[in-house]
Amino acid sequence: MLNYVWIGLIAIGILVAVGNDINDEVQNTYRNGVPLEATLTLQPVPSAMYSTWKGELTIPAVAFNQFYGIYSQKTDVHQQVVVMTSNKGVTTLSMLVGDSTPEFWKKMADNAGQKDQLSAEVRSLNFSNDHATAQASFILERVNYVKVRAVTKAALDYANTAVTISLGLIGIMALWLGVMKVAEEAGLLRILTKLLTPLTRRLFPEVPPDHPAVGAMIMNVAANMLGLNNAATPLGLKAMEELNKLNPKVGTATNAMCTFLVINTAGLTFIPATAIAVRAAAGSGDPGIIIGTSIFGATCATIAGLIAVKVLQRLPWYKVEVEKSASGDTEVHNG
Amino acid sequence: MVELFRNIVNIISVAAIPLLIIVFLGWGFFKKVKVYEVFVEGAKDGFTVAVKIIPYLVAMLVAIGIFRASGAMDVVTTLLAPITNLIGMPAESLPMALMRPLSGSGSLGLMTEIMKVHGPDSFIGVLVSTMYGSSETTFYVLAVYFGAVGIKNFRHALPAGIIADIFGMLGAVFICRILFGV
Repeated sequence: MLNYVWIGLIAIGILVAVGNDINDEVQNTYRNGVPLEATLTLQPVPSAMYSTWKGELTIPAVAFNQFYGIYSQKTDVHQQVVVMTSNKGVTTLSMLVGDSTPEFWKKMADNAGQKDQLSAEVRSLNFSNDHATAQASFILERVNYVKVRAVTKAALDYANTAVTISLGLIGIMALWLGVMKVAEEAGLLRILTKLLTPLTRRLFPEVPPDHPAVGAMIMNVAANMLGLNNAATPLGLKAMEELNKLNPKVGTATNAMCTFLVINTAGLTFIPATAIAVRAAAGSGDPGIIIGTSIFGATCATIAGLIAVKVLQRLPWYKVEVEKSASGDTEVHNG
Repeated sequence: MVELFRNIVNIISVAAIPLLIIVFLGWGFFKKVKVYEVFVEGAKDGFTVAVKIIPYLVAMLVAIGIFRASGAMDVVTTLLAPITNLIGMPAESLPMALMRPLSGSGSLGLMTEIMKVHGPDSFIGVLVSTMYGSSETTFYVLAVYFGAVGIKNFRHALPAGIIADIFGMLGAVFICRILFGV
């Protein structure tokens, strides 16, 4: 299943990206080659002495939206620009992308040559009598293959992110693996494990109740519930390592692993700290109002996940894979 | 009541890690374990485990990254919208439900964005933050945890995880409609 999901995500992603770009090209979403009209306010007043001036482009929101066929621009466009005239008499505008830049142009700048600039070739510039403003007609630089470029960038960026995340785990991994090793040697995990045996025996019938894996799993679930993400992952990985010692077939998940991971992916926690922090930052009157609802949602997820995992492990599709290779093994896999 | 509960959990969260460390190490010392030597012995696996995860996480995150960047999410949202409308799930919250199992940073961004547009205390704002709190990033968890022990065949963990996500999202919609319903 994972193979299908994995190739599916990649193939659908690339196909949709290509499709979107073809659509953009046909509809000319970015109005490549179409002149746009704007009022240019210049400061200081240009004279023959200058070849570079600064100014501000003004386009009414209605005109901007109409030009691009969008609805998202709510306020009139006021864009800082640098106007340059080359020796050959070609005048170009450089829009410096900043906070006041329309979102649509920001998106275009991301896909143009330079990230923080969007350049345009001026076709006509009609100055007013006092030379302070001008009516400009200009063509923005070509923008195309936006989604395919984005896909390329995402592939490279995410590969990097994966390494950053993994390497970031080294320190806390080492800390918790060390602490857990001491707890194990001292017999502390065994005590903890005994307390919850009635529950863990039902959830993980394949795992001996006093196995170190049980202790690590309990610690991981407890850390998750308290929202201690830093501790939960190393403890969970420790649990996986212990569970893998009971694995008859290297490289294939056991029932206990699947059950344990479903509990983890359901993510039951008493305080959804991240969501609360974001709500508070967004100016909520009661950021914590979602505590109860989140616990309810995650409980639904946990119960549904546990039922699913216990039902699915009995399906021939998932069961056969283990039994085939574990021939002659003492491990029982259909709890 | 909620306030008290929140305070208690807060105190536990803050004190838990130092408390765990001292209790575990202290208990070990009391049981005459050579704490320093054993700690170092256990800690040396930290590097290997972290490095082992890399290929699995690269495979998973790159696939999800491509899917997100392509705009495929919009296509899926359009396809699913008629179904989710039937159960009274607002269309604005559907991208959140789809993104939650795929990407932690992606769903965090969506939640922030939706709250900026609709306000954190609007029905949609409460719903998406509940959704965020109702599940974990399934694909990430599976890649990291299985990757650490070199498991390539996930068996039923993925479908079960997705079923859990679906019910988490449905549970969030259900409880929010009852408590803050429109």
